Amino acid sequence: MDDLVLRVALVVLAIALPAWAFLSVVVVAGRLRYERRHRNPTERPLSAREADRLVRRVAGRPRTEWGRWRRVTALQRLERAHHPAVPRLLRRVLHDPDPKIAAAAIRTLGDVGDDWAVDLLLDALRDGNGSRSRIASELERLAPAPGPKLLPLLRNHDATVRFWGATLLRPYPDLADATLIELTWDSDANVRAAAVETLGTRHGSAVETALSARLDDSEWFVRVHAARAVGHVVGAEAAPSLTRLLSDGRWWVRTAAKDALRGMGGDAVPSLLAMLTHEDPFARNGAAEVLQDVGFVDFLAADNPRSPLLERIYEAGGERFREAAEARAASAAPAEGVRAA
Amino acid sequence: MIETFLGVTVLVCLGYLLLTNLSYVALVLVAFVENGVRRHEGASQDFDVLGESRFTIPVSVIVAAYNEETAIVSTVESLLDLDYPEFEVIAVNDGSADGTLARLVDAFELEPYEVFARHVFPTENVRAIYRGRSHPNLVVVDKENGGKSDALNAGLNVAKFRYVCGVDADTVFDREALLKGMRRVVEDPARIVGVTSHLTIAENPERVMSASSGRRPIDRRPFMAYQHLDYLRAFFNNRLAWSRLGFMLCAVGAFQIWRRDVLEEVGGYSRTFTCEDIELTFRVHEKFLREGRDYEIHCLPDNVGTTEGPDTVRKLVSQRERWQRVINETVWHYRRMWFRKRYGSVGLIGAPFYLLTEVLAPVFEVLAIVTLGVAVALGVFDPTVFAVMLVAIAFLTGALTACAILLDDLQSRTYRARDLARMLLLAPLDLVLYRPIIVWARLLGSWRFLRGDKAWHKFERNVRAPA
Repeated sequence: MDDLVLRVALVVLAIALPAWAFLSVVVVAGRLRYERRHRNPTERPLSAREADRLVRRVAGRPRTEWGRWRRVTALQRLERAHHPAVPRLLRRVLHDPDPKIAAAAIRTLGDVGDDWAVDLLLDALRDGNGSRSRIASELERLAPAPGPKLLPLLRNHDATVRFWGATLLRPYPDLADATLIELTWDSDANVRAAAVETLGTRHGSAVETALSARLDDSEWFVRVHAARAVGHVVGAEAAPSLTRLLSDGRWWVRTAAKDALRGMGGDAVPSLLAMLTHEDPFARNGAAEVLQDVGFVDFLAADNPRSPLLERIYEAGGERFREAAEARAASAAPAEGVRAA
Repeated sequence: MIETFLGVTVLVCLGYLLLTNLSYVALVLVAFVENGVRRHEGASQDFDVLGESRFTIPVSVIVAAYNEETAIVSTVESLLDLDYPEFEVIAVNDGSADGTLARLVDAFELEPYEVFARHVFPTENVRAIYRGRSHPNLVVVDKENGGKSDALNAGLNVAKFRYVCGVDADTVFDREALLKGMRRVVEDPARIVGVTSHLTIAENPERVMSASSGRRPIDRRPFMAYQHLDYLRAFFNNRLAWSRLGFMLCAVGAFQIWRRDVLEEVGGYSRTFTCEDIELTFRVHEKFLREGRDYEIHCLPDNVGTTEGPDTVRKLVSQRERWQRVINETVWHYRRMWFRKRYGSVGLIGAPFYLLTEVLAPVFEVLAIVTLGVAVALGVFDPTVFAVMLVAIAFLTGALTACAILLDDLQSRTYRARDLARMLLLAPLDLVLYRPIIVWARLLGSWRFLRGDKAWHKFERNVRAPA
């Protein structure tokens, strides 16, 4: 037995000891080399021979994932050197079946930022090459902005493309109001939601009407976007419509309505007070929560702690609501001489 | 008769040792491929774009805290300082008996507010919810004690975003932690349901994280350095390879990103296990594989933060025996997955690997120590051969540890060269200086598992010097 164990142990030792020593040298030497390079990060110019080798690598069809990443690294090196073959090569890599590789190409296109790169990104968005959210991120950071080039996307037969067209138009308040309003009636709910979200940053009576109509959309996520958008565009006049959504069957819609009402501050108070006796408990405590968050409860507690109105709000909010309000009131420093109007 | 018995036992233990180490070597090779791919991917990732884009998916970060008064403020500060376009931090005080809540209230000027949230997951009674004007994205939930899983579930009830990130209250995070964690998710949110990433360990995480990357120190005490090496091996040699092979078995509690709807589907964090992280990962695998659904759970090599490690042997044993218990509980609970083709690589490789290298390890380790000791004492086994065997195992551990150090350094370039050299020299001594403590802890954990003990045995927090 000793012999067998000794033989195995010696074999293991003969492999492990040199391996440990070799790896240790690799770690320390590699680290020191990195530090030396890091102190001097300038990239040396690309020689013609090296450029050819990199172009060949990018143009090839590697089978392994590792090979595909080497392809991306080569492409990025060529891009940094402004090699003339880059546009042709990028187009090719963009069609790589591996989405991660396509994503790397998308990022490189964002770095290039020229007109041809914008066109390629828009083509990729239309054709679904790579992650569309990734393409959208790159399109949004481009300067000059691709605004007018986005307009054809709104008429695309593919709903996903229309969705991204509507979404990407948000930073361009002067473009395509009418088309976006039209899209709030699109057959695809995602497109409607995107159009509503983008219109939420614009103004005008046509926009207000279109957005208000979507508060009753059959899809809950369209109602979510509509609630936020209406709160922003229409303002306090929309408070009654939004308080109505506090009793919506979907939690996300109620949350969006609460967020929109919070954004109105004190202007939402009259509509919220009317909800305190609503038959739906969600509507009652949602109204109480917004009254708390806009500071109305604290104001009443400081101004008139025995007010029947405050009692009604406490009833709508429940026991923990009352305790929290009383704790806040107790900890607040009394502001002498300040009385509510 | 005794000689034959001892001889056979020694050979069985040796066979076990060879098998486990061969599987570790195989995993390391896979880990090198995975690390290389992720490194390329990371290099082609633009965190500036991800950090500014409105298309980056918002995340609710949930930190469960029980008696964490020494660490909680710095943890929450590091979370609020995260570089990410849209996120909220939900700190859940799980009925702490110390000043955890008071520290939070003072540090962030919090006031009680009522928040009407969904009650998707049943939890212990929530006493109050706090918010502060200075940090609108911070919510503190104060609840009765119910354990970490219960606290995370309470946080999930309040969370408003589609992805949630459960973190530990004793961990200080890198500013880019969420960007690093979410970079894979944003590529394919439909398939990627869970992500974890590499964390390091230190006696004082604030001190380590206050140094810039590339200059971060590794604790000088060998006791802490060995824990650091243990983490490196676990993340780089094992989890990266698991991730590559499709059986990432443990999204660690200190940093675990999950798609919220998946957590709702599987019923949230379970309170019936000692710890929540491994079990939840197994549960998600089990459900998705049983239903034949396409999904991925990943471990990334990026360093996202530093967690506090036990600074005494007693604390370390307490922590590691708990880990051993939960591994045993989980692997046993999901025994229906073992060697079942239906559960893919999780059932055919992952669960059996855990069974071999974690659940059965204490049995073989104790068997080997006792048998070899008796065999040497009785003269059945030559002490010189025994010594050669120990040296061989020590350098095998050293080589595997060096692989983990290399993978980490290639990925993050976090530490100074002199610290790396010190780690490399310490690595072969792991077998005699550190491993015995772990063997004892694992034995204790296995014993308590057999007794059905499910207590947390939380270790007392280290005394921190100011960063």
